[in-house]
Amino acid sequence: MPKPNRSFDKSLWIFHVNTGSCNGCDIEILAALTPRYDVERFGIKLVGSPRHADALLVTGPVSRDMVDKLKRFYEQVPDPKVVIVVGSCGISGGVFHESYDLVGPVDRIIPVDVYVPGCPPRPEAIIDGVVKAWMKLERLRGENR
Amino acid sequence: MDVFKSFATPSGMWNPLIWLLVFLILLLIAYLIWLRGESRYKRHTMQVDPFLSGYGPKSKEDLHVRASNIYWGFSTSLKGYYNFLRKIHTGIINDYVGWYVGILAIMLLIYLLWGGL
Repeated sequence: MPKPNRSFDKSLWIFHVNTGSCNGCDIEILAALTPRYDVERFGIKLVGSPRHADALLVTGPVSRDMVDKLKRFYEQVPDPKVVIVVGSCGISGGVFHESYDLVGPVDRIIPVDVYVPGCPPRPEAIIDGVVKAWMKLERLRGENR
Repeated sequence: MDVFKSFATPSGMWNPLIWLLVFLILLLIAYLIWLRGESRYKRHTMQVDPFLSGYGPKSKEDLHVRASNIYWGFSTSLKGYYNFLRKIHTGIINDYVGWYVGILAIMLLIYLLWGGL
């Protein structure tokens, strides 16, 4: 569902995509959503479609099968948008960097704005990365207005 | 009001002006809802495609429910019969005329033998 009006711009809606992660980073993202960190109280929310999102959050190296899909996810997010890569695998390939099925780190496929290193990164690091992405998004929005 | 009485019928009141007014109000409501929607999508890009877990939209032919889907149960349970019919539908006019003449001959024979001239 698209945001009802401009006042919801203050919330950051994120579409999470796993392009071949071992699920370690995904579990940490879930941890950021659980009551201990509870990022939803700041309006940071995972959505079910890139068409409803402001930011794309990618975990994992990009496997061959996910290249076209990742490109489509990126294209489907309305502008202005930001991309956050969570975890070493998405940044450099990580432990999978020599895999036969790996096309490359995320920034070889789509432009990336924020990198959150770690294997997996702690929820605090993920939240810090999301805030940085949010600040960039606000800046982009300011430029477009 | 007289204007309402004049349009009273045994099954209720009918006034085209009221209907027009209701229609315009609904149109206005629909327009207001549309205005509040996401306006950042760029036309003629993937942004307006439906989201299908990263897959591209399928052609209308692939998504369309065909007439044959409705009687799928029949065609599956009567497979032998349909396969036979399909086989004899060669598309060659000589075959169809052959079937026509052949069946006519059999019917004529039956009629001649047991029809009781």
